[in-house]
Order: sequence, then C-alpha cells, then structure tokens
Amino acid sequence: MAEISIALRGRAVVSETRHLLFSVMPGAVWIIVFLVLPSVYLMAVAFMTNGPYGQPQMPLSLESFRQLAGFGFLGWSPGNLYTLLRSLWQTLLSTVLVVIVAYPIAYYITTCREKWRPIMLLAVVVPSWTNQVIRTFGWMNLLAPGTPLSDAAQALGLIAPNMGLYPSNFAVTLGLVYNFLPFMVLPLYAAFEKLDTAQVQAAQDLYAAPLRAFWHAVFPQTLPGLLAGTVLVAIPAFGMYVIPELLGGGKGMMLGNLVANQFAGSANWPLGAAGAILMLIATFAGLFAMRRIGKRLGGGEEVVI
Amino acid sequence: MRKRTLQRGLTTFWWATIFFLYLPLVVVMLFSFNASNSAANFTGFSLRWYTRLLGNEQIISAFWNSLVLASVSSVVALAIGSLIGYGMYRHRHRKLGWLIVLIYLPIVLPDIVFGISEMAFFVSIHRYTGLFQPGLGTMIIAHVTFQIPFVALIVYSRLVGLDATLFEAAKDLYATPFKRAVHFLMPTLKPALISAFFLSFTLSIDDFVISFFTAGPESATLPIYIWGAIKKGVSPEINAIATLMIGAVAIAAVFSLMFNRQGRH
Repeated sequence: MAEISIALRGRAVVSETRHLLFSVMPGAVWIIVFLVLPSVYLMAVAFMTNGPYGQPQMPLSLESFRQLAGFGFLGWSPGNLYTLLRSLWQTLLSTVLVVIVAYPIAYYITTCREKWRPIMLLAVVVPSWTNQVIRTFGWMNLLAPGTPLSDAAQALGLIAPNMGLYPSNFAVTLGLVYNFLPFMVLPLYAAFEKLDTAQVQAAQDLYAAPLRAFWHAVFPQTLPGLLAGTVLVAIPAFGMYVIPELLGGGKGMMLGNLVANQFAGSANWPLGAAGAILMLIATFAGLFAMRRIGKRLGGGEEVVI
Repeated sequence: MRKRTLQRGLTTFWWATIFFLYLPLVVVMLFSFNASNSAANFTGFSLRWYTRLLGNEQIISAFWNSLVLASVSSVVALAIGSLIGYGMYRHRHRKLGWLIVLIYLPIVLPDIVFGISEMAFFVSIHRYTGLFQPGLGTMIIAHVTFQIPFVALIVYSRLVGLDATLFEAAKDLYATPFKRAVHFLMPTLKPALISAFFLSFTLSIDDFVISFFTAGPESATLPIYIWGAIKKGVSPEINAIATLMIGAVAIAAVFSLMFNRQGRH
C-alpha cells in the first residue's frame, strides 16, 4: 500500500515537473537564446580587438577599456571622460528635478476627491504613451531658434542672439525631466495614498512645527516610493540615447550615444561593448543599492521594479 | 488660512505641470495643420501635410512595417508569455528565483544595451550561417523578447487574484486538461489576455531604440522613418504622422485600460 502511494507520488512529481517545463520552457528558452546569449556575446566582444572594419577580432585584449578611458593613437584625450561625467551629472540633476516636481504633484493628487484621482494619474501618464522620438521632436519644435521660448531666453540674456535653446545641455535636462516625470509620480502617489495620518496628527498634537512634522512624520513614510521612483528614473536616464542625440548636439553626448556610435558610423564594436558593460554595471549596482537601502528601511516592503 | 494658501499653490502647480506635459504634444498636433512649413509661425489651417502623407511611398511602407511588426510580435508574445504566467502561477510554491530573474531581465536591461547586443548577435550569426538577416524577422524576435515579461506578469497577477477553489471546481467539472483550458481558463483569462495584447501592441509601436538597432534596410517602421526625417532636416510632414501615431496609441491604450479594469471586477 505504502509502496503504491510512494510510486504514485513519484509519478505526480514527475508530471508536475513536466508541466512546469512545458509551460515555462518556451519563454525561458526564448529569453535565454535571444537576450542572455546576445548579452554574454556582447560582453565577450569587449575583450576582443577592433578589426579594420570595426568588427571584433582575436586576440583577446583590454584595449577597448583603455580606449573607453580616453587612451587613443594620439595619447590621452578627455573626451570620453567628459561624456561619462556628463551622463552622471545629467542623471543626478534630472532625477533631483523630477523628485522636486513629482513630490508635490503626488501629494496633491491624494488630497483631491477619490473619484478624480484615477483620472488625474491617467492625465500624468498619457503623454508617456506616445513615442519618445515624437515627444522629443515636440521639444525640438518648442526650443528651436525663433520660437517664443527661445526669444524669451534671448531677451533675458540667457542665450546668444540667433541661437535656440536647443541643442544644449539644458535641453537634454529638460527632455529627461519631461520623459521620466510619470515614473516618479506613480510610486510616490502609491506611498502617499498609504500614508498613516495618525502619525501626522500626533506630531501636530505635540505642537511640532509644520516642517518638523513633515520631516519626521511624512517624509520617512514616502521613502519607499521615492526609492522605487529613483530606480525607475535614474537607471534608464543614465543609458538614454534618443534625448541627448536629438536635443544635445555634439556637446550634449551621453554614454548611450558613445556606445551607439560605435555600432554605426565610427564602428568600433569592442569599444561600444566596453561602454555597454559600464552601463550594465551601473544598472545592477543601482538596483542592488536600492534593494539594500529598501530592506534596511524595513517595513518588510520590497522596492517594486 | 495657511492651509488654504498651500492648497491653492498646489492647484496652480498641478495645472502648470499638466501644461508642461501636454505642451510638446499639442505643438506637434497644431503644426500638423499649419498651412506653411514653418515650425515657428502658424499661418493658417490646412490639411496639405496629411494629403502629402498618402502620396509618400516610404511612409506607407513604414506604416505597414509597424503594423505587421506590432501584430505578429504581440500574438507570439501572447502565446509564450501567457504560458509562462500560467506556469508561474501553478508552480508558485516552488523556488522559481531563476525564472523571476529571467523575466525581469528584459525590463531592467537598458534599451541601448538590449538593442546593440541583439544586433551584434544577429549580425555575427548571419555572417557565418546566413540566418537572421536583419529585417522584419529580427525585429519581431527582439520585440517578442521585451513583450513576454509584460504578458506573463499580467496573466500571473490575474490568476493570483482568482479564488483558488475555482481551479478545484473546474477539475471536478471538466475531466481533461484540454477541456479545462477551453471552458474555464480561457474565458476567465480573456480580459487579461486582451489587455496584455493591447499593451504588447502599444509597447511595440512605441519602441524606437530596439527597433532601430535590429532593423534592416527595408524594414523601417514609422518611428525609424521619423527619426531619419528629423536627422535629415525638419519636414512638417513629421507633425502629421506624429499626430496620427499619438491618436492610434491613445486609442490602443484606452482599450488596454478598459479590458484591464473589466478583468479586475
């Protein structure tokens, strides 16, 4: 009797496993073949030598990383370093600006009537449904020379006469803030909606100044949302390609453009792959850091990606 | 009193932000009806750019490429992704960490890394075997790869939201797994599947970077055409195509939302 039941259980386990394999396998294999393998291949390319037509060749070398650091035929030049620093600076600046705009917006939505809230959230998200190229093109139209915004900036003496507000680093920052605002509003809104108002009430009852009440009773509660938003904004901003390419011009280039250019015009695959590795390291380091901070904040709440 | 000033300030800030968010889109739509080809001055209403679109063969072919790419990739992703979603649900008590990592990978990977690794991979394989010639085929493969996770997660979350006893009841009612799938699983998942399809479709139409790097010379989609036109010098026709695309994406997104909401009730 016992033997039969064990045998049956064994068969059930086998069929369960087979079920798991059949349902999950096609997709898992698809992602492994068409994403994991290509990424591994790309990483390998970074350790190869650049051939005459920009194709990777043997022997293995670290030449591409030297080039990424700025060492070329003519000695060291700071171009790539500037690009890297600019990417970091643009990411930091735009993330901070996005927080400054999104924080009051997310709070404001929670103060409105319940039936309006989904519509207000939708209103914030809808523009991001249109193609990135089109949205960026809209800003090109707005910031070009001769437009009201450029004229106003000229009148204020912010830009040289007959120049537009684009191409410039300012335009890239603006484009990044515009692009990523919804990604910060949504998680912050979720945090505000769950806000425990009893804590705020307690702070007020104890005559805490408004700023102090905010800092001790409100801000810590919104931190998980803030972290989730930072992951959603900073990581893609660091690797952004379209916005700096269209709004930045030559002096607004970011890491994404440096990498992409190695696969198009000036073709140097190993150099591009080395840049991509840098981007991957930044991505996973960012994700890891946010997870750690999120866990330390406790509440048992995982930062949802 | 102080509270009211704060609230008023916030209301103003809200409308200013909404203005900021919609301004570029409104400008694009407005100038698509501009009589002259100036990007700075609006000189009068006209539909000339829209009629010019119809005569432009490159745009028509880009439109068909976008449509074929979005529909074929969405159908394939729907089949593969919903299987994963179902597998994740059925075996949710097992340790499936590797699968979760695999599913999140396409979401967290920066677009540009995603695009160039596929391109490098396809180009290299093509050189040695002749397979995977860059074109619509490689684009469909790349799009399916980033659509699968979204389909899987939508289907999974719909299944988790169901009462587990329903599955037992279905097991008693319909003996064979096939019958169960047809009479129980498919109907209950229908709103989630439709919503996942429209989301995949929207993601595909919206994508530029990954398409750009996996495309071949003949397979330009609308965003790739627009990109080329912008790079060559601004043409007011871009405003007209862009306006049509904004409209199409808005409609698809509304459908996705409608079915998603229907599924939750």
